[in-house]
Amino acid sequence: MAIATHGTASNYLQRAPSPSGLADVVELILDKGLVIDAYVRIAVIGIELITIDARIVIASVDTYLRFAEAVNRLDLTQTEAAGLKELRDGGGNGDGKAKGMAEGAKDALSGDGDRQKERAERG
Amino acid sequence: MSAATALYLYGVTWADAARPQAGAGVHEESVEAVPYRQLAGLTSAVESTKVPAKRRDLLRHAEVLGTALVHGTVLPLRFGVVFENSTTLVEDFLSPRYAELVQLLRKFEGRVELSVKAYFREEAILAEVVHANPRIARLREATRAASDTSTYPLRVELGERVAAELQERTLRDRQVLLDRLSRLAVDVQVDQEPIEHQVLGASFLVDRERVAAFDDAMNKLAQEQAPRMHFKYLGPLAPHSFVGLSAEAG
Repeated sequence: MAIATHGTASNYLQRAPSPSGLADVVELILDKGLVIDAYVRIAVIGIELITIDARIVIASVDTYLRFAEAVNRLDLTQTEAAGLKELRDGGGNGDGKAKGMAEGAKDALSGDGDRQKERAERG
Repeated sequence: MSAATALYLYGVTWADAARPQAGAGVHEESVEAVPYRQLAGLTSAVESTKVPAKRRDLLRHAEVLGTALVHGTVLPLRFGVVFENSTTLVEDFLSPRYAELVQLLRKFEGRVELSVKAYFREEAILAEVVHANPRIARLREATRAASDTSTYPLRVELGERVAAELQERTLRDRQVLLDRLSRLAVDVQVDQEPIEHQVLGASFLVDRERVAAFDDAMNKLAQEQAPRMHFKYLGPLAPHSFVGLSAEAG
């Protein structure tokens, strides 16, 4: 998993050499790789207990209400310049912190406290 | 391992690149090579075909393959393939599939898999959507104060429009990321499952000598997109997403 650093452009995002989280491993070696159908597979007891917390987007009223709520929760005074900033200078202040230690897309939902730091640096 | 009654298979490599790995395998067994002509299966003796798979064993399967990849090209197997013993491994798999396995190893020689995932930062991408779409901004204002039944239809409409905008941005930005990264890769597999806020989930097959260039491209993307996306970047991996046997029924 990527661990971004508060570093220079050349070392902004570090490549993780091997999967460290269960979700990544499960995806890699339970879903992918050679399968030899004729042979015994180990009884994978316990695998069913592993839930990858990546929410699949389904077009439904529930999803829409959730998005509406998320949009209504936004504090636009804090995020106003984000779209522009992204195009203008692309950050460069260590904001790329991957919250990737959690599985799947859950981390993407966990909000973004980094915005304040970014604003502070913009002055 | 006198109690061993089965042979767990991690992957197939060139015989001259196969190295034992003491105590590194599933159930803390050692990894041993079972050679056959130019090939070798990387295996561990295990006590039974019915042993439970624990979290630790899943990680070890991946780690064994990662270590093998340091020494040479390796064809990764899915977790959980077990043979009775080394004789059946050779007679039922390495020998009948010999030509195909050799061909696959040649195909992946000097190449590794890099896994890339990109996610929108929710707050940032929603703010973008609100700013870009006046109808969404108005609906937001209209529904913000009261989340009761009186605003229910408006909230559904708001969410539906947000979902559509997110979908559009996902597809657009996914293509941008793919355009930037694909030219450095030999092959790419894109995950099509629509995961919430996931812009891209893809595996790239990359020549080893281009991994540094790929790193640079990833760094640049991560930096450019930092305010609105974050990334997971994993590798080098054995070519999990690119291997396949003919008439594979798995």
